[in-house]
Amino acid sequence: MVIGTDVPTLSGGDARRLGQTEMHDTLAARNSRLAPGDQIVVRIRRSGGGAGSTAIQEFHVPYEKWMRVLDVLNWIAENEATDLAYRWLCGSKMCGTCGVRMNGREVLACWEAAEPMMTIEPLRNLPVIRDLVVDRKPYEQKVASLEPWIERHAPYPQFPEPLNHRQMKDASKALDCISCMCCYSACPVIGLGDLTDFAGPAPLVQLGQTALDPRNNPDKVRRSLALTGIFNCVSCYKCEEVCPAAIPIVSRIIEPLKAKTARLLPGMAKHSFALREIVADRGRVDPSALILRVQGGRALANIPRVIRLLMRRKINPLKTIFKIKTAAAEAAGRILGAGPFK
Amino acid sequence: MKFAYYPGCSARSTCAELNAATHLVSAKLGLDLLQLDSATCTGARELRAIDPVGFYTLNVRILALAESHSLSLMTICNTCTLNVLDAHAAFVGDKELAASINVRLAQEGLHYSGRTRISHFLWVLYEDIGEQRLRQLVVNPLTDLSVGAFYGCHITRPPSRYGFVDSRNNIALERLAEILGCQPIDYTGRNECCGFHTAAHDERVAIKLTGQHIMAAKAGGAQAMVTPCPLCHTVLDGFQREIEKDIGQKLDMPILHLPQLVGLALGLSPEELNIERHMVPADVLKAHAAKPRKGHPR
Repeated sequence: MVIGTDVPTLSGGDARRLGQTEMHDTLAARNSRLAPGDQIVVRIRRSGGGAGSTAIQEFHVPYEKWMRVLDVLNWIAENEATDLAYRWLCGSKMCGTCGVRMNGREVLACWEAAEPMMTIEPLRNLPVIRDLVVDRKPYEQKVASLEPWIERHAPYPQFPEPLNHRQMKDASKALDCISCMCCYSACPVIGLGDLTDFAGPAPLVQLGQTALDPRNNPDKVRRSLALTGIFNCVSCYKCEEVCPAAIPIVSRIIEPLKAKTARLLPGMAKHSFALREIVADRGRVDPSALILRVQGGRALANIPRVIRLLMRRKINPLKTIFKIKTAAAEAAGRILGAGPFK
Repeated sequence: MKFAYYPGCSARSTCAELNAATHLVSAKLGLDLLQLDSATCTGARELRAIDPVGFYTLNVRILALAESHSLSLMTICNTCTLNVLDAHAAFVGDKELAASINVRLAQEGLHYSGRTRISHFLWVLYEDIGEQRLRQLVVNPLTDLSVGAFYGCHITRPPSRYGFVDSRNNIALERLAEILGCQPIDYTGRNECCGFHTAAHDERVAIKLTGQHIMAAKAGGAQAMVTPCPLCHTVLDGFQREIEKDIGQKLDMPILHLPQLVGLALGLSPEELNIERHMVPADVLKAHAAKPRKGHPR
């Protein structure tokens, strides 16, 4: 990997964005890499779907001003490969059907500028029907199983209902979702298949539209949240990064849903409560205490690892057994001690 | 150059070698660290989800402690960094929240006005030491050491905080590795997730994800990996035996904390940097360690 030459001393938070200029990581830079008449090299992963083999087919497409990935696919379908399968409908970032992976990143074909070299593949984590077309059924079944609707048993208090923007701020973010599956394809936990029962970002956003609506019946919301496996989200923000609708999926959907789960189904948030109690009591996290609280005897069953950890001085049983407080304990107790979860 | 220094929980427990290395390297770099011992945990990912008010208060308190000394805050953990950045943004953006937090902080005579500059050690190297000065301080260039940089998540995502359209375009660690004389390698796992944040209740996700990343780094020719986050280190290093069992293959990939890699290039020995405290031995580094009395500041 070659990184280039010296940069002057950075300031004002620029080190956080190191690479943005060098790697053309701005919208303006991304949109100005091609000029009319340039040749775009496009490699498309094609297949007949199922467990069949896939092959990369290469095309050369003449660039036209403002060409998007979708325009490139349309050009190929019209001129070179009339049997190329891909989906699109609105062409304007609303229908959510044209999601693909371009150079390893999930994008909407209709909203992404063409690049000089493009490898275009179908979205991950869903079965491929043909070429760039994926089967949305597993996602749709998952969403349906979460019963993403509002149930109300009491009469409406009045009309119009007394709702304000603060009560609806998270649900309204979720309502921006166009179900394009980009986040579902980018999620590393969903990528591990059935290893966990995590519902995945897209189904959680769909659920958030109604579960984060304060009018919904808590029993109904509890029933839905029980099926989400939500605490298996690793908080990697991959979903937020690729979301074409710019929904802050982790901070405005998944975390508020976790908070709701902690209230309605405290058993699912055992790990979060344990961490909170340890911090409230001792000021900082004692990892051994946390693991013991959450995993119980299971943690001690791996004897070779416990010995390895002891030998490398990674754990200090005295601290854990005697619950030794840190210099931060007093402040943590004051701030968290009287909290809603004590 | 003085900083309020927030080590976090990991560097005071399972990754104590990180805290020690940060102090040693900071001294070499001319950074004067005021360690905030009364600073609490930032709440990891758990508290911010289940108790947002408690989360904001703990984090703003850390910022207020730095502000009370009129110092910038230096962090060494990705998740802590994002937590204080998020809390700072929430504080600045919501006057009502800010006022309520300050009422709680007033009980111990603290007050935050939103002025603390937050900088991870990695950014301090670029913004406060500077690339030129850093090159001058390298007395033991780690020539030919192939390093796989492992960013983790919270130092490069979410886009709303760091501004990358594609977080794979972050090159801060590779550039630093080059400054230190190393050969940075390219591999698919660079900006991927280690799975730490679900590991307390289920290690399998972390083991599966991180296994892929270490294998990719190894295939790319990495002799060691370096990370700016002790949580990533815990999975990459601490879980490596379990990962090997899972994939049925030996990896033996030494994992360095960022200050340790810097420290080696600045002439500190692997022993001084407590590299023997890692679960995976780092014998490869011995060949790259500074020879006694060899090398002078250029």
